[in-house]
Amino acid sequence: MKLTVTDLTAGYGKAQVLFGLGLEVAEGELVALLGANGAGKTTALRTISGLLKPWSGSVALDGQSLLGVSAARRARLGLGHVPEGRQLFSLMSVEENLLLGAAFLAWPSKSDQLERIYALFPRLAERRGQMAGTLSGGEQQMLAIGRALMGKPRILMVDEPSLGLSPKLAEEVLSTLSQVKKEGVGVLLVEQNVALSLEVADRGYVVEHGRVVLQGSTQELASNEGVQKAYLAL
Amino acid sequence: MMLAAVLLFLALVLPGLPLGQWRAFALDTAQFAFLISGLALAWDLLARTGQLSLAHGAFFGLGAYAAALSAPALGTVPALLVGGAVAALSSLLLGLATLRLQGMYFAIATLAFSEVMRTLVLKAQFTGGSIGLPVQPAFGGAYPLGGYYLAVAVLVICTLASLLLSRSRLHYAMAATRQGEAVARVLGVPVVRVKLVTFMISAFLAGLAGGVYAMKTLFLSPYDAFGLGRAVEALVIPIFGGLYTTTGPLLGGLIIVSLETWLRLRIGEGYLVVYGVVLVLTILFLPKGLMSLFARRKGARHA
Repeated sequence: MKLTVTDLTAGYGKAQVLFGLGLEVAEGELVALLGANGAGKTTALRTISGLLKPWSGSVALDGQSLLGVSAARRARLGLGHVPEGRQLFSLMSVEENLLLGAAFLAWPSKSDQLERIYALFPRLAERRGQMAGTLSGGEQQMLAIGRALMGKPRILMVDEPSLGLSPKLAEEVLSTLSQVKKEGVGVLLVEQNVALSLEVADRGYVVEHGRVVLQGSTQELASNEGVQKAYLAL
Repeated sequence: MMLAAVLLFLALVLPGLPLGQWRAFALDTAQFAFLISGLALAWDLLARTGQLSLAHGAFFGLGAYAAALSAPALGTVPALLVGGAVAALSSLLLGLATLRLQGMYFAIATLAFSEVMRTLVLKAQFTGGSIGLPVQPAFGGAYPLGGYYLAVAVLVICTLASLLLSRSRLHYAMAATRQGEAVARVLGVPVVRVKLVTFMISAFLAGLAGGVYAMKTLFLSPYDAFGLGRAVEALVIPIFGGLYTTTGPLLGGLIIVSLETWLRLRIGEGYLVVYGVVLVLTILFLPKGLMSLFARRKGARHA
């Protein structure tokens, strides 16, 4: 499966945020969407997953346009989204949060999925009965990713997983994403932590003011002078 | 769960108990309590999707009028189903127009709906208007306990619906819809459809309870059947008992209605004062309702 975004423009009210953004993610690759605060990364994800209506441009899965397709239907087509700020159901247990992820996407195989997520995040298995709101920041992020994975997405979009985490935990969370990639899922990672993202990603896009200004393999990006100056503080 | 089963069993055997001179009164009060608890269970179903409805008094009234009007032609049980269906249909129309609204806005829309319904019934000819509508007793009065057991049946149906829904995947859909619609949608939950289906189930059950109520009181007037008091009761009981649970509204309904009846007997109109104080104290000290008494014990066991 392949996610193709072309010439996407979108915004809120009169404020335009995306100015012709384009990108591609295929199954089995980890792609980073990098950029500073306010560059439009989160807006891009919200538009791709159907929470926000695009003004123009297209989002397509395997060449099939998703124009007019609801967010719930996009999820059923295999597009997963871990929203910014985790958005867990804090009064529900870890396991209930996970089951919720499978409820409308992979209900018949929910026990297999649970096992898979607990293998990926052993810490969640230890805390399966605990209320989601009582988890630490890192565990909450793992739960948010696990919940989205429960629905067996083919392409998973993850919004700022390292936000508010210690460097060590951020690394742990990002390295599980590369494990998810090895399972064959395409991962689109939105991050402000450019250095860390470049370590795990296969390739990346740099977004500024709502459009892609630079793209390439992570080596190319890491050795680019502009990237080094603007994001890596070298 | 266990408690719910015990309560339902008690409801079944109550007419057989030696109640002496209080028997008729106890059965009448119990019957009313069952119907109101059923209504509260129905209201709680919709609350699980995060919507606060003030239209459940109207669904109750619509069910009551529809059952009363169709009973002579159809017989008791089909008429009750018609009552539920009319309530469900009206909730579908109301829902299509308003379920995209959230929180307070939805509540106001449902309040407007119930006022409109009351006015319609008040002005229409075939409903008897403001004079009211005499109703035949259940099964034409052939069984003295017929109405009582219909109320038990309504309570059992509402309890089972509540239990089954909290065990199905719709439970997850409702919880997700309540707590964060955007996340629910990216997790594949068809939010609008979930709300609509829940609304219809909820209204159907409220209408069913209303129909049995009509056959119990034998007389309907728009002021009684569509009163705002019933809509408020439908939401006070789950809050008192414990929201989003089955035992909460069930236990809460039985306690609140019994308390209300007892207080009315003791101190007449002053009962509302005590009733209000009890509610305020509950909300202050048991914010999750009576169910938190059980939850706390369970929590202690875990620790």
